[in-house]
Amino acid sequence: MSSSTERSRTAGTDQADRSAVSTGSYVYGIVPTDVELDDARGVGDPPGRVKLVRHGEIAALVSEVATNRPLGRPQDLKAHQQLLDAAAAEVPVLPLRFGAVMADEESVVDELLAPHHEAFLAGLKELEGRAEYVIKGRYVEQALLAEVFAENAEAVGLRQEIVGKPEDATWDARIRLGEVINQSVEAKRDADTSAMVEALVPRCVAIAMREPTHEQDAVHLAVLVETSRQDELEQALDEFARQWEGRVDLRLIGPMAAYDFVMTPQQEQEGE
Amino acid sequence: MTIVQPSGGGAAGRSSSSSSGLADVIDTILDKGLVIDAFVRVSLVGIELLTIDVRIVVASVDTYLRFAEAANRLDLSQTGQKGLPDLIQDMTEGGSRKKVKGATQGALDAAGEKLRDFIGGSDEEEEEESVPRRRRRGED
Repeated sequence: MSSSTERSRTAGTDQADRSAVSTGSYVYGIVPTDVELDDARGVGDPPGRVKLVRHGEIAALVSEVATNRPLGRPQDLKAHQQLLDAAAAEVPVLPLRFGAVMADEESVVDELLAPHHEAFLAGLKELEGRAEYVIKGRYVEQALLAEVFAENAEAVGLRQEIVGKPEDATWDARIRLGEVINQSVEAKRDADTSAMVEALVPRCVAIAMREPTHEQDAVHLAVLVETSRQDELEQALDEFARQWEGRVDLRLIGPMAAYDFVMTPQQEQEGE
Repeated sequence: MTIVQPSGGGAAGRSSSSSSGLADVIDTILDKGLVIDAFVRVSLVGIELLTIDVRIVVASVDTYLRFAEAANRLDLSQTGQKGLPDLIQDMTEGGSRKKVKGATQGALDAAGEKLRDFIGGSDEEEEEESVPRRRRRGED
């Protein structure tokens, strides 16, 4: 049914482009259709009003956005995540990656909701009562280095070579020292991450390893958890926090939408 | 509030964030989540490049040099030659805890900076938090 409407729509916008602002439908995520939406503002400047575009048993969270202006200010990123995380705290949500814009609400239905209705619905059912949490741990620098020097004689020797000397006179030793330290840190990260994963497996539906985002990252995990078991997750992390006190700063972020646990078939084929 | 804040407990060292910083947001929503088929999607200025630009490179020469400099500054006599955790703790409570926080904050700012540079915007109101609420019909 879309081929004729498609053509007329395109013809229409070509003319409109010159005179008016061109807009698209920014899509945040997919939720069950029986969701109520309070007044919510989304991305864009001024922020677009968020609404539901329904089809069958699912609905898309969308807002109108100007397509001829860059999007991606910190406020836009936060608006995207806040909307989805607030939704995820109460209902199942399939989050879309930031920046998904479709031509209009009609194409949201015809090209996104209708063709994937069954898959999205199945995904939402799986997420019922579950949410994602992100665990971030970062090594405390002084404690980390002290550990490394206590364990690694080469590092101690290299450090003696550079201490108090200017950078350009000790370049090679510095690079080597940094490399040795980095290797130690990687080994610690692997060991600490494994220990945490092992402890969390019985408490989680799924665990996804995330790449470190900083050289002093100790752990970076996304976990999918039954929201009713959030306190168990917290207890487990408190245990690690005690064990690692002064060594690793731990943070638990969530509940949030299950960004790390939704995948399109294409993404799955690409590997991982 | 997006976050169900736990009872708090006496948890040493672990903080539960009720809102995530910009760096956390970037890690998450630019990198994860469902992707709409490229043919269906309307292109939007700036997004693709942004995704690549904000990645933080781990284990580069810069990393090595930074570790080396940190080692250079480290006063081993104060932390104890053997790196005994007990001895270290006093120090970390005082000085390094702050430093680590500072470094993290720096990364956040840098990320924000980069984003702003990139898109040419200059608005700084990052702390705006209008969280929508939504209820499910028929939920008891």
